Order: sequence, then C-alpha cells, then structure tokens
Amino acid sequence: MEERKYLDIEDIELFFSTSEGTVRAVDKVSFGLPRGESMVVVGESGCGKSSLGNAILRLLPRNTEKYEGHVFLNSEDLMSLSDEKFRHDIRWNRLALVPQAAMNSLNPVIKVQDQVAEPLLVHDMVDNKEQAKDRVVKSFRRVGVPTDFLQRYPFELSGGMKQRVSIAMSLVTEPDIVILDEPTSALDMLTQANIMNVLKRIKEELGISFILITHDIGTSSEIADRAAVMYAGQIVEYTDARNFFGDPLHPYSIKLMSSVPRLDVDKDLDYIPGQPPSLLNLPEGCYFAERCHKRFEKCSQEPPLFEVEDDWHVKCWLYK
Amino acid sequence: MAAKNLLEIENLHTWFELKKYGFVTVGNVRAVDNVSFTIEKGEAISLVGESGCGKSSLAKTILGLYNPREGHINFAGTVLDSSDEEQMDWYRAKVGYVQQDPYGALPPFMTLKKILEEPMKINGIKDSEERIQRIKETMEELKLTPVDDFLSKFPHMLSGGQQQRTVIARALVLDPDLLIADEPVSMLDASVRIEILELLQKIQHERDLSVMYITHDLSTVRYFSKRIMVMYGGKIVERSPVGDLLDNPAHPYSIALLHAISEPDAENVDTYKEVPSGEPPSLLNPPEGCRFHPRCKYKIDGLCDEEIPPDFGCGMEGHQVACWLYRQEGEGIPDDS
Ligand SMILES: Nc1ncnc2c1ncn2[C@@H]1O[C@H](COP(=O)(O)OP(=O)(O)OP(=O)(O)O)[C@@H](O)[C@H]1O
Ligand SMILES: Nc1ncnc2c1ncn2[C@@H]1O[C@H](COP(=O)(O)OP(=O)(O)OP(=O)(O)O)[C@@H](O)[C@H]1O
Ligand SMILES: [Mg+2]
Ligand SMILES: [Mg+2]
Repeated sequence: MEERKYLDIEDIELFFSTSEGTVRAVDKVSFGLPRGESMVVVGESGCGKSSLGNAILRLLPRNTEKYEGHVFLNSEDLMSLSDEKFRHDIRWNRLALVPQAAMNSLNPVIKVQDQVAEPLLVHDMVDNKEQAKDRVVKSFRRVGVPTDFLQRYPFELSGGMKQRVSIAMSLVTEPDIVILDEPTSALDMLTQANIMNVLKRIKEELGISFILITHDIGTSSEIADRAAVMYAGQIVEYTDARNFFGDPLHPYSIKLMSSVPRLDVDKDLDYIPGQPPSLLNLPEGCYFAERCHKRFEKCSQEPPLFEVEDDWHVKCWLYK
Repeated sequence: MAAKNLLEIENLHTWFELKKYGFVTVGNVRAVDNVSFTIEKGEAISLVGESGCGKSSLAKTILGLYNPREGHINFAGTVLDSSDEEQMDWYRAKVGYVQQDPYGALPPFMTLKKILEEPMKINGIKDSEERIQRIKETMEELKLTPVDDFLSKFPHMLSGGQQQRTVIARALVLDPDLLIADEPVSMLDASVRIEILELLQKIQHERDLSVMYITHDLSTVRYFSKRIMVMYGGKIVERSPVGDLLDNPAHPYSIALLHAISEPDAENVDTYKEVPSGEPPSLLNPPEGCRFHPRCKYKIDGLCDEEIPPDFGCGMEGHQVACWLYRQEGEGIPDDS
C-alpha cells in the first residue's frame, strides 16, 4: 500500500437530499496533502468546492443524505471518531475552516478580540483570559490587523479588515491545516493582494498548510504548491502547481486555464460552451463529455482517475 | 458639442447627504466628485476602480436615477434637464442599463417573454407582434436560442450566464444608442465571462452602439474597449487608450492595481506582491489634495497632501493623469524605484 500523506482523503462522499432528488455535491473525492504543503481547489460555481471543505471538517447540513469515506490525518482515520471527540480534538485544534463569506458572519454585537479568543476558551487551550488575549494579539499581528482594533465591533471595520479578523480566528489555535473558502473574492484588488501576502508569510513562518478554495485561478497561484480541479462534484485533475499552471492535462483544466484573461500576453481567450450538468441528474459516462472538445467513444463510460505520471492524476480517457 | 460625441459629461458631482437621527446632516459622501468625460457614437469605454470608488453612482447619475449636485449631462446634443419629464422619457428609452448584481436583477415570477416585453410596454410599443419580433431578434443576438424554448422559462431555470444574457437582452430590446453595463460579468465564472464579453462586443459593432463598461477587473478591459478611465475616491485619476494604460500606467494607483493582479503562474508562490498598504479613502472625509496621497510612496509633501491635482498629459496621445508627478513635461514616476 502507498504511504499515507499527512492529510489523506479517500473516496469521500457528501450527498444532500432535496425535494427534487439527491444532490451529489462531493462524489468520491480522494487526494493527499503532505505536511506543510498548500493546495488550491478550483472549479466553476456550484461544482462542490465548499461542500468538500465542509465534508473534511464534518460540518454537515441537516439534509445530508450520505456522508462516507475516509479522512486520515497523520494516519488516524477521523471518520472513526465520535462527533464529540471530533469537535473537541480536531476542529479548530488541528483543522480549521474560514467559511465562504466569513467576514459577514462575524457576530455584530461582540468585540472582535472576544470572537477571536472564543475557540481558545471553548477548547480549554488557555488557562485564563490574559493568556487568551496574548494569543489573540499575536494572531492579529500575523494577519496585519492593528492591535488598537481589538476593542472594535465588526461594523467598525472595513471588509478587508473583517476578512483578516476571520483569518486571525482560524489561526489563533495554531492548527496544522486551515481551509480558506473564497477568502478574497469579495475584496478589492489591492486588499486581495495584501491578504495573499499575509497568507504567504504565515505559510512560510509557521508551516501551516492552507487549502484554498476559489474560482479565481490567478489568485490561487499565489500560495499553491498543489492544485485540484473540481468538476461536478469530482476531482478531475490533481497535481503539482507547476504542472497545473504550466501545462494542465484534463480538457476541462485546459479550457479553464485558457479562459483566464492575461495582462502580459495578448492571447485569444477561450470559453467553455454550455454549462455544467445538474448534480441532481448526472449523465452517464464522463461528466464533462458534453462540453468537451476532445470527446470520443470511450467517454460514454466513466473514466477513473489515472496516474499519468508520478503524482499527476487525471480523470480522462485520453490518459489511459 | 463635437459632432461625434454621443455623451458629454461635464463637472459632474453626486454627493449623498449623510444624516444622523434622520435630520442632522453629518456630511456628504462624495461618490462622484467633479467628473468629466465624453463617449463618441459607437465607442466602447471602460471605467475601472475598486469597490466603493463611485462607479455605480456615476452610472446611476448618468442614467438620471440620481440628481447631480452640480454639472451637466449632454446627450446627443441635448443638455438634460431632470425636471423635464418628457425629455427624460425620451432619454431613458435611448439608454440601456445592465445593473450590477445579476441575481437580483430579474423578477423571479416572470417568464423571459414578460421580462423582455415590459420595457417596450412602458415605452409605448403597442403592437404585440412588433414586440415579439423584437424580443426574438434580441434573444437571437444574445444566443438565447432556440428562442421558443426560452420564452416561457423563469429566471431560476437559467444558468448564471443565461440570466446575465437575459439582463443584457432586456437592456437592448428598445434599441438604445448607449448601453451602460455595470459589472456585467463580474459575478460569473471566468469560463463564461469571455463568451458574454465577446457577444457584447459583437453587438456593439453591429449596432454601432456606444457602451460604458464598468468593472473592477482590469484584466478584461483589453478584450472589450479601446479607451479606459481609472477611478479612485470619486475621481477619474487616469484616462488613456487601453493598451497604453496596461503597458505604461502613469498614476501610482493604476500602477499598484496592475501589480496587484495575479496571473496564473506557478512562480507566484516565491514572491511577495508589492502593493500599497492602507485602505481606500473615506468619501465622507476624503483626504485633502490627491485622494491617493496617504498610500502613495511618491507623495510630494506640501503639494499632494494639499492641492487636488488637475489632469496632466503624460507623453502619449489621449493619455492623461491627475497626478502632481507629471506637472512638468517629461517628468513622471521617479526612476530610483
Ligand atoms: N444543503 C444543501 N442542500 C442541497 N443542495 C446543496 C446544499 N448545499 C449545497 N448544495 C448544492 O450542492 C452543489 C455544490 O455546492 P457548493 O456550495 O459546494 O459549490 P461551490 O463549488 O462552493 O460553489 P461556489 O463557487 O458558488 O461557492 C450546488 O449545486 C449547491 O446548490
Ligand atoms: N444611495 C446612497 N446613499 C448614500 N451613500 C451611497 C449611496 N449609494 C452609494 N453610496 C456610497 O457611495 C460610495 C460609492 O458607491 P458606489 O456604489 O458608486 O461604488 P462602486 O464603485 O460602484 O462600488 P462596487 O465596485 O462595490 O460596486 C460608497 O461609499 C457607497 O457606500
Ligand atoms: Mg462555495
Ligand atoms: Mg458598483
């Protein structure tokens, strides 16, 4: 058997039940992430990126119909832990998540320093409030929030500062892995760039792994060591960032990459005709086939995730 | 008015009065602060700038949705008078508007047919066959085909891209002379953005339509317009042919914006971005002088923090920049940087 990566996701599935049927939001997703490395998950809106993040953190909505698979962290299968144990030992402690639109879900009536301190107090990670405050100050410094903001309420902060506070909150417990769901998409370009700088510095100095979920491929390249491309609930390509940004293999990745406008080259842009299939009603065979410019007979059957080269996985018959 | 110009904007100011307890005026949000520019017939122009800099406020003022505190709008040779109802009706039929936030833009309980018919009914096109004819033509232009399949659909049955094309179709169905498109593709995935921008460009050429394209995404402007204006803190700080601005940005803010964009490149992980810290200015209490000076590393003390810079030429045809560094011909950003 292959050696396990620090974080190793195996065949994870998360389905939702709705009045119209089952939504297969995460459909047998597997990948491994070595300790200290960061990865991005990219893909079009609705392809299941946030659901994947939630599945890893076991944050399940009420209408969850199926939640299966394995999440190994340092070779321990987290799926075998009770909810209670998972909540206490894993969430925040070792795995943290900054949810999509986190900056808008800060509690408006609690001072930001108290919100950021909360995970520490809830998990008994500090002995007293003073210690908690020291950790909060440290966390604020890391993300570039002036410490005189400690006493402020969320509405007294700009969008960029609120987003930094959300990130500070995920870092305060010093977890091994932080999942960031669209951390910059609602922000200004200059603020975005500033926050990416912050993340880069934290990654370098603390060795924290980030899993960055985004539909913005340009921004994703800022902290990616590895890249996963998601389409209709599945990972269709997973590889080193150099491979992905340089010369992606899956026809979907290729199209995705060539639809990104560039400033430096006056290249012709491409787009992907049509739209992704409904996760309620998935087609037979390869899910991308309908929109694919390289489709051939074989595509009426579902391709497995082929290992094309060492550490380069592509879910496409072209690479059999 | 120069014969070729369809729209001339002169010294436009749109301020929002900010009140406390409902009646005490605390101050004014200077969303549009002395803006002037022109758009020629058949020309596409882009307006870029960060969130909150006043782009939508400028668009809505041009559309007559906000009354300017000062300044003029001259459209096709007529200076608009917002109290003249008849004139405003004529004007509104000539200007199409694609509003920001496509998801809130379409009424959920109306079919596409109803949605597209509405503006024509309001503007007195009584012949229902003519209305249907126009709807069909416009839908075909926007590739909402087969038209008959789409006519009876409700917005929630459409993908984001199709919804956005419907919003554009609604803005074009009266055959306007000017289209104001406020972030028409920002909410969409990159994979469909380009399709819509290309479509818009094709229609612009075919109809000889003037377009004002508003976006915060500098990287798409090259694919759409020939001219660009950069807005910061309620003011236009740079205007230029697009290629020229991308290759030789002059204003320190434009330079920073270009630096901030991430091209998809694996090398990015190894370098930090050089971007000014700080935040966009408050429009309630904007900084004295140049609005960008608190974040600018080239700030000239006693000048940039005191006096608002006028437009200066910066060497190239049609390229102007509101920055004191360019006050003498041949000068600009200092070399040592
Ligand atoms: N609780 C739920 N019940 C039913 N369907 C859901 C639920 N949560 C998400 N979905 C659906 O699952 C699919 C995946 O959603 P998800 O939010 O994971 O996508 P995403 O890739 O994060 O999209 P975006 O880029 O827009 O954030 C979508 O079709 C969504 O409508
Ligand atoms: N009706 C209003 N009353 C008071 N203030 C307003 C009003 N509309 C806009 N503003 C303020 O004016 C400023 C400019 O807003 P505007 O919507 O024009 O920005 P924008 O450039 O379009 O931003 P975005 O990119 O986020 O759409 C902001 O500070 C905003 O809060
Ligand atoms: Mg999401
Ligand atoms: Mg706007």
